[in-house]
Amino acid sequence: MEGNPFYFFTSSNLVELTGEKADNLEELVVLLKRCTGSAIFYHVFQSYRDRHFVIEKYHSDFAQWISTSLDEEPLAERLGVLDVRDFTSIRSLRESTIKIIEEYVQKFPQIKDRQGKTPFFFCQSVSVVIPTRHIAWRLEDFYQIIGKIGISSIHYHLIEARLRLGIHTNDFSYWLRDSLKKERLAQRIEGIDIYLHTLEEIRRMILQYIQDEMASRCHPLS
Amino acid sequence: MSSIKLIDYEPIVGSQTLEELYLLAEGLREKRIKMVNSTAIGGGVAEILSRLVPLLNELGIPTQWEVIKGGEDFFVATKKIHNALHGEQIHFPSRMKEIFLEVSRENLRNTDLDQDMIVIHDPQPIVYIEAKDRTSAKWVWRCHIDISNPDEGVWDFLKGYVDQFNAALFSSPRFSKRLSIPQFLFFPSIDPLSDKNGELEPEFIDQVLEKFHIPRDKPIITQISRFDRLKDPVGVIKAYRMVKRYTDCRLVLAGGEASDDPEGEVVINEVRTEAKGDPDIHIILLPPTSSLEINALQRGSTIILQKSIREGFGLTVSEALWKKKPVIGSAVGGIPAQIIPNLTGALVYSIEGTAYQIRYLLTHPNIAKKMGEYGHEYIKKEFLITRKIRRYLLLFHVLSHPGERVIHL
Repeated sequence: MEGNPFYFFTSSNLVELTGEKADNLEELVVLLKRCTGSAIFYHVFQSYRDRHFVIEKYHSDFAQWISTSLDEEPLAERLGVLDVRDFTSIRSLRESTIKIIEEYVQKFPQIKDRQGKTPFFFCQSVSVVIPTRHIAWRLEDFYQIIGKIGISSIHYHLIEARLRLGIHTNDFSYWLRDSLKKERLAQRIEGIDIYLHTLEEIRRMILQYIQDEMASRCHPLS
Repeated sequence: MSSIKLIDYEPIVGSQTLEELYLLAEGLREKRIKMVNSTAIGGGVAEILSRLVPLLNELGIPTQWEVIKGGEDFFVATKKIHNALHGEQIHFPSRMKEIFLEVSRENLRNTDLDQDMIVIHDPQPIVYIEAKDRTSAKWVWRCHIDISNPDEGVWDFLKGYVDQFNAALFSSPRFSKRLSIPQFLFFPSIDPLSDKNGELEPEFIDQVLEKFHIPRDKPIITQISRFDRLKDPVGVIKAYRMVKRYTDCRLVLAGGEASDDPEGEVVINEVRTEAKGDPDIHIILLPPTSSLEINALQRGSTIILQKSIREGFGLTVSEALWKKKPVIGSAVGGIPAQIIPNLTGALVYSIEGTAYQIRYLLTHPNIAKKMGEYGHEYIKKEFLITRKIRRYLLLFHVLSHPGERVIHL
């Protein structure tokens, strides 16, 4: 036995409508300042999960709306490159988002009240976290479970974990490092670019990394 | 009621999805639920409940379905209310309001309210909330209608009832209003095992196209909608003509007449006049029991249109995407919720835009194919009945933990 086991959870969210909508950038900033942290979290992390089967140009709803509804591509690009791995709190993510928009509007004031083709509806979510029946004690169990667990579980442990725990890591890497002392594997999983892969691709990458780890254990000099 | 079991969906949604439904249902086994609506047969709500109720029971959650009873004058009143919520300016006389209240209260006297959750569908049974104090149940109003721009007089009357519920459910953020109670997004759903959406043998598709005299010698562009000006069938023909200058194709306009629309026949005549006897335009009037034929027409098409001027949710878009067809739809009603632009389809704002997108997709079949595939995946994720069950299970947990944003079960 190699330390504490890994308990797999899964989360589902119910989308709550706030009744607030923005028709232009000026209104978007006002609402970004007063909306709940849960709304920011939803539009940056959770709605992305709902489209996990495809790589969209922007993972964030804000960038996506600015691109498709306002056709303001330079601003969408700036918001689009915000890397969620650089933030450990919703507050800092909110502040950076607002700062980028405000700086842009200051530079191009004529666009601040231009109407979008469709409004941006602010939503937020309520998450329900459920324990699954899957528990991993060893790397072999972990490999088996990663191969068959629901995609929501991978999102929960790999992506939602960063803001939940306030750390620059994820649940998988944390456990691999802390309980199994697998530093290299933990780092490889931390290094996955979550924007350029669907969650199914990420699952396959994790499986491959674990296989590599198990192979190197059998052949330590190879 | 349907005899379809949850396990029948496993080949479509996968075992993980069903496993998560069972996990979510575990803590709800003792909860009793009642759904109340206004009709047992016909209409989208009855269709949904006829599938949903047995599946919730199968998950171990005792769920009843009650249909409110009333005479013709009651349903005349509820139809008026329905139209008013849709935005029609109406006269709602006080006698009609009295009938609405009297019949609702009469129904309430005979209702078993010993439940944990009561879900009221649409405005017809909304007065049931007057009995809120007689039960410890959580009350939910499921609004299937776009109420973003209602007749203010009728809305003021109803709002007093809506505000007493514990939560309201809407099909799209566009359909909701600011309310004092929590509101949740509940997309409508399609059933992949129904006649309208199930897999069909290629021979059957051929037979249906033959029956309607539609040769498969060129690409087929199809709009399935009742003949109603709000679905813009004349605009669809104009778009087809713009396309035809560049690419040869056929157009299929298929649907029923709106039985409650006195203008239905006028619209069909307008469509026939606009078609000018073009043999490549196929105008097909379908009876209400044509689910298999609609399924076959969609599957036999190259591109599906939904060029509405106004729309409810427009579930025909989900139906077409489920069949891996690229869809071009107007950015109205619930269509933008189903079409992720340039990914699962194209959103358009004009006849010209519709024509351009048809031309684009006909000349880029690989992109059209990819859109259809993405569309299928998106529908699988968000718009199937299994997703709706999941939303209801989540709702029950959320209402049992008021004020919590992250609920650990």
